[in-house]
Amino acid sequence: MYSTAKNFRTYRTEEYKGGGNTSRGRVNYKSYFHENCGEENVYYKNNGYKSRLSQFQEDDGNTAMSDIQKDLHPRHNLSTTDDNNRKVARDNKDLIHITEWRDGNHQMRNMNKNEPGCKDRTFPMTKNKGPMPKYRTPSKREIEENGQNNIYGNWFKITIPYGRKYTKTWLLNSIQSKCSVHFTPVDFHYVRSQAHFFVKNSTTAFALKNVNYKIHDENNHQVRLFVKESAAPSSEQNKLKPEEIEQLKLAMKKRFDVSQKSLNLQSFRFDQDLMSHDIDMILNRRNCMSATLTVIEENFPELLSLNLCSNKLYQLDGLADIIPKAPQIKILNLSNNELKSLRQLDKIREMKLEELWLQGNPLYNNFSNYSTYMSAILDYFPKLLCLDGKDVTHSMDVETGASEILKPSKKNHGVSEMLKNLVLQFLEQYYSIYDCGDRSRLLDAYHDEACFSLTIPCNPKELVPLSLYKYSKSNRNMKNCKDHVLLTQLLKHTKRDVVDFLRVLPKTQHDLSSFMVDICILTEKMLCFSVNGRFKEEVEATCPVILRAFTRIFIVIPASNSRLCIVNDTLTVSNACPKEIQSDVSIPARAPSSIPVPTISQEQQAMVQAFSTQSGMKFNWSLKCLEQNDWNYAVAGQNFTLLKAEGKIPKEAFQQIS
Amino acid sequence: MDFKTYVDQACRAAEEFVHIYYETMDKRRRVLPRLYLDTATLLWNGNVVTGMDGITNFFEMLPSSEFQINMLDCQPVHEQATPSQSTVLVVTSGTVKFDGSHPHYYNQNFLLTAQSTPNQTVWKIASDCFRFQDWSNN
Repeated sequence: MYSTAKNFRTYRTEEYKGGGNTSRGRVNYKSYFHENCGEENVYYKNNGYKSRLSQFQEDDGNTAMSDIQKDLHPRHNLSTTDDNNRKVARDNKDLIHITEWRDGNHQMRNMNKNEPGCKDRTFPMTKNKGPMPKYRTPSKREIEENGQNNIYGNWFKITIPYGRKYTKTWLLNSIQSKCSVHFTPVDFHYVRSQAHFFVKNSTTAFALKNVNYKIHDENNHQVRLFVKESAAPSSEQNKLKPEEIEQLKLAMKKRFDVSQKSLNLQSFRFDQDLMSHDIDMILNRRNCMSATLTVIEENFPELLSLNLCSNKLYQLDGLADIIPKAPQIKILNLSNNELKSLRQLDKIREMKLEELWLQGNPLYNNFSNYSTYMSAILDYFPKLLCLDGKDVTHSMDVETGASEILKPSKKNHGVSEMLKNLVLQFLEQYYSIYDCGDRSRLLDAYHDEACFSLTIPCNPKELVPLSLYKYSKSNRNMKNCKDHVLLTQLLKHTKRDVVDFLRVLPKTQHDLSSFMVDICILTEKMLCFSVNGRFKEEVEATCPVILRAFTRIFIVIPASNSRLCIVNDTLTVSNACPKEIQSDVSIPARAPSSIPVPTISQEQQAMVQAFSTQSGMKFNWSLKCLEQNDWNYAVAGQNFTLLKAEGKIPKEAFQQIS
Repeated sequence: MDFKTYVDQACRAAEEFVHIYYETMDKRRRVLPRLYLDTATLLWNGNVVTGMDGITNFFEMLPSSEFQINMLDCQPVHEQATPSQSTVLVVTSGTVKFDGSHPHYYNQNFLLTAQSTPNQTVWKIASDCFRFQDWSNN
């Protein structure tokens, strides 16, 4: 396309020189045209100027046009147009409709030398188009100059070439944040890979032009933005007259059920009241949809349920505008329309729908069975409870909006916000099961081949603190253990083993407010994050609670039904230093910590008491001694005597005799 | 490869890597960025550092360090999470003293991916997450 564009220039210059149409120019022009001829007829569809045309086209149900819209760049100077010069060709299905413009400077030429200037024409598709100008953003002066002449009130069309990658909200917010002027986007829509919207005045347009190099997406790619003049967007053209809007409001009020907060716009076009007033409510048209949404915004902002059944809708760009106007909508009926692809749902994906009706749309045929259809829909609306009247099955255990995040780059904005919420939600659910219930419910959270390992950090010169003895058997600290065979054994593999092991660990109470979460890496396939925090370990009712510090690293992958599924899990446990307790005795390296003793049986407790009395050592030290000697009282006693004789037992071990 | 082999490979890689990493960090800080992938991300006490330039600058500015490792663990990352890229999760913790500040307990975890050359497999850091832990009492 670019090479032919260059040739254009040649063509034009020659023309201006008065050279007329050289064969070279003509050939090149034609080849350019042929490249686009397939889409030629749809050029006018979403573009402002040909509103009457769109009327015919939409009515025809000529839906073939809808999905292959390619936005061909209009001429950038539309000055001095007025109704007299604009002639509209009558509908004829086989021919394309062309409107010719005439103004002093920019004549849209046809190829036929014998007919200069402006005439009504219908042409077979392969002939006749005016020259397409090379795309460029007009300068400020040009905008202002032409703006003054433009009776459409200075409308400008903003194009973001790869806009389809981003959601509407992110895109508009990013642009607004870099734009010095506040703008109100009108008729935001996507065409192929591009996003477009319109703004009203030249100052705004110029300010937006300056945003071009300033926005970067999550991957640090520049988001380009181009501004050009255009005629008014279709929702502005053919804006409904106030009396029409009044009728519209009345008709809609009749269809609004106050108790249910539901609005029934089924087959809205054939509403008796509207028809009797000659109002054509064709909701595919941006102006109609926009007027309808305005009535909703003003009269039913609390709307919960909207029925748009049987309105021949093939795109949802217009409907997307409803999101800020009626944010509570939970039920949406789009059945029996003309939606061809789930990509349309992308435009309304921010709606928090609980019930959706989509049957009777051509998109249904894209799926081989109901469950693939359902999971595809759930990707867009993870909170959905009911689809086409059937309940949606969710796995309740670790349910999150995972697949939304982990899909390639569609949502670049607020991934951080959504991601944070995703992770926090996961952690809440995980720990609620871990803390107060049956840990076997965690089976659902793990992958079949998940791995888990537990470690206790330990200063190499010291022993593992006694109080962590419950964990020490499974301690996989590679600093202490070099035996690879043992290391493999200590790694829990398969979800059965993992969960069986977790069930054996002491009962806990995690303090979510202490959690510090770091998101280490996020890719399309997985998410890795670490959690640092504290938990209380419950022992016997008699013993005070132990405070532990932990670090947990999760690697999760998306699973079906929007769940996150754990593939790798590591846990590190150590003793926490509670802020309130000040250690006023310096604790020598080998001594047990001052934290209360862990559970021992009644029998063992008695043993320790006895030993303590006999040896004169404090309870903790006696306990340690017995532990180290496998609870063999006699052997412990002997060793104690030996060590004492050698003077190896520190003074602190002994009870103070008052 | 069966699971045991994966685990073995991961253990060996982790041990060797951790040894090299902390030696380099303490004694040859200038070449530390070479252990990172160009696309690696570093998360240091909540601060994100990306790109080779960012990482190089960061380590230049970080005061000299003295690490002591008290804990090391590793797991082979499941294939489904990193298709066609052998990855190992390495977790360490211990104490560190930076020049000019008091010692801290820290936790650190790495995701290492294998870059195979004809002669050997080189493990590089795809992500590095480091945090002080000031409420633990080992």
